[in-house]
Amino acid sequence: MSGHAVLRGEGLTIRFGGLVAMDGVDFVLQAGEILGVIGPNGAGKSTLFNLITGLYQPTAGKVFLNDRPLNGLPAHRIVQMGISRTFQSSRLFTDLSVLDNVIIGMHCRTQSGVFDAMLRPSKARGELRQAAAKAGELLRSVSAGLYDQRGRAASELAQADRRRLEIARALAAEPKVLLLDEPSSGMDDRDTDALIADVRAIIARRPELSIMIIEHDMRLVAELPHRVMVIEYGRKIAEGSFADIRNMPRVQEAYLGRKATAHA
Amino acid sequence: MRPTFSDITIVIALELIGAILLRFFLLADDWRIVGGILLLFCAGFAVMQFRSDWESRIGDAFNRGTRLAVGLAILLVLLFPLALNGNTYALHLLIVSQLYAVLAIALNFQLGSANIPNFATGASYGIGAYVSALLAIHFNVNFWLALPAAAVAATAFGFLLGVPSMRTRESYLALVTIAFGVVIHQLLNNFDWTGGPNGLVGIPAPSLFGHSFASPIVIGGIKLPSQANFYYLSAVLVGIAIISAQRLHGSRIGLAWNALRADELAARCQGINVIWYKVLAFAVDAFLAAFAGTIYAFYISFISPDNFTFLVSVTIMTMVIVGGMDNIFGVIVGAFLLTMLPEKLRAFSDYRILFFGIVVILFLMIRPEGLFPQRLRRYGGSE
Repeated sequence: MSGHAVLRGEGLTIRFGGLVAMDGVDFVLQAGEILGVIGPNGAGKSTLFNLITGLYQPTAGKVFLNDRPLNGLPAHRIVQMGISRTFQSSRLFTDLSVLDNVIIGMHCRTQSGVFDAMLRPSKARGELRQAAAKAGELLRSVSAGLYDQRGRAASELAQADRRRLEIARALAAEPKVLLLDEPSSGMDDRDTDALIADVRAIIARRPELSIMIIEHDMRLVAELPHRVMVIEYGRKIAEGSFADIRNMPRVQEAYLGRKATAHA
Repeated sequence: MRPTFSDITIVIALELIGAILLRFFLLADDWRIVGGILLLFCAGFAVMQFRSDWESRIGDAFNRGTRLAVGLAILLVLLFPLALNGNTYALHLLIVSQLYAVLAIALNFQLGSANIPNFATGASYGIGAYVSALLAIHFNVNFWLALPAAAVAATAFGFLLGVPSMRTRESYLALVTIAFGVVIHQLLNNFDWTGGPNGLVGIPAPSLFGHSFASPIVIGGIKLPSQANFYYLSAVLVGIAIISAQRLHGSRIGLAWNALRADELAARCQGINVIWYKVLAFAVDAFLAAFAGTIYAFYISFISPDNFTFLVSVTIMTMVIVGGMDNIFGVIVGAFLLTMLPEKLRAFSDYRILFFGIVVILFLMIRPEGLFPQRLRRYGGSE
């Protein structure tokens, strides 16, 4: 961890009508850090990601990437600035090939426009061929098994490979910050172990990459993140190392309910 | 990869069979012959449906023998009018089919690539036709200048339609485009300067290097009727449309369209400016449709609002659905089939709309991907 804040949120708040989905959340993500985000269902974890990636505009509060404010920027500009994400329920381009999914992830790192495509096809094709080669490399570095399936439609992949592909697609945009929204959902223990190994391999290659990861699987939360923050009812209720967090009464209440902890 | 001997045989045989069937189909007067050829066609597809290995074998043959396939296709298109015994009605059908093929390719950018249900392609077609016709009649602008002018005007309209459409989605988007199409039709019907319901008459025939398109083509003692001029002109336009479609499909833009078709939210999160790409699809559609409109206007030399109704847009949409979403060859076949069939089955012309409806429903049930489904992209040498 090289101690400067890459991503910073200040007083992030969003209301949908009368519902306050996120209420004054502050957070800091350091360069090279993995920050875990946990909390019960409906606590607002995915809302936080949607605010950071520009899918939602906050009612109040600000997000900064390397001290540049992101508020008001559309989602596609935020990707270009260096924040990529995956989705809780995988959202691949299922009718396209595995390789095409990754190439589309490079959209903001390629240039050709309509006139290039129509009038200078060799330039546009050359660029796409280069992107295809790079996408192949990226796939290989994420998973050799995925690389071997690069010509297949994404819909034909097994669940674990879909997750891997979604991560590879997010990495294709060369992000500074990677947001993983419950990558282990729907996975068994063996797949989750493989996922942990994959993420480790990814950060080993990219020491500067910062990751925020929403998780329910406590095994993964114990292993990967340097720090964990807990969200409940749209508020941050705790933050610290997993070892500290797990013993906090408020956190146990949030997960197990008040009664259960009172009886315990 | 070099084509093998069997690749070459497959390509040549299929193209020749296609051309011969098309010729007999065009010249047939008896509905039984028409029905027979149709049955043959359906049987071919039924076989494909059950033997997907044959389908991929044929696909591979055309992939490896692309040059041969294209060369032979061009030759066949060039020689085809000679095989029609000077039948001008057959030529007319071919011209209209080719113009519809261009319209279907235009709509395919939206419906096929990006899944935008645009019911206003007929309107863009009309705008192209009217702009070029007005320029020719009132300002003596010749065809070759009117063509790009009409395209620019229609593209501007495409943007105009695209921008407000972006505030809506799916069914609502379809409604906006339907409204736009109806409004254009009504405007053409009610303005004085568009000739109202009477339309525009006396659009002059184009000429090229002193050869008027109203006169027959005579080469080395062989005489082709004047329609052959427009046959070749629209064939060139189809060629341009195919090349543009392939270039866009095989580029970053085609990929971006496909991405937003599959999952718009995910596309935004890959850095794709979804709004821009949707508007772009509208513009490209209008651009190509205007070319077709211009050729139509100069070919028939008379246009009226009734040539550009909502029904035209529906027909074009049917062609794309039947032919195959996002498959260029497929939509061309769809366009040819759905232009010629109603003409050949005149006896049942009262049921034309019913026929289109049934065809669309059948296709969505039996083969929702169309006659020729989309194929995954391949990148040179990587597979």
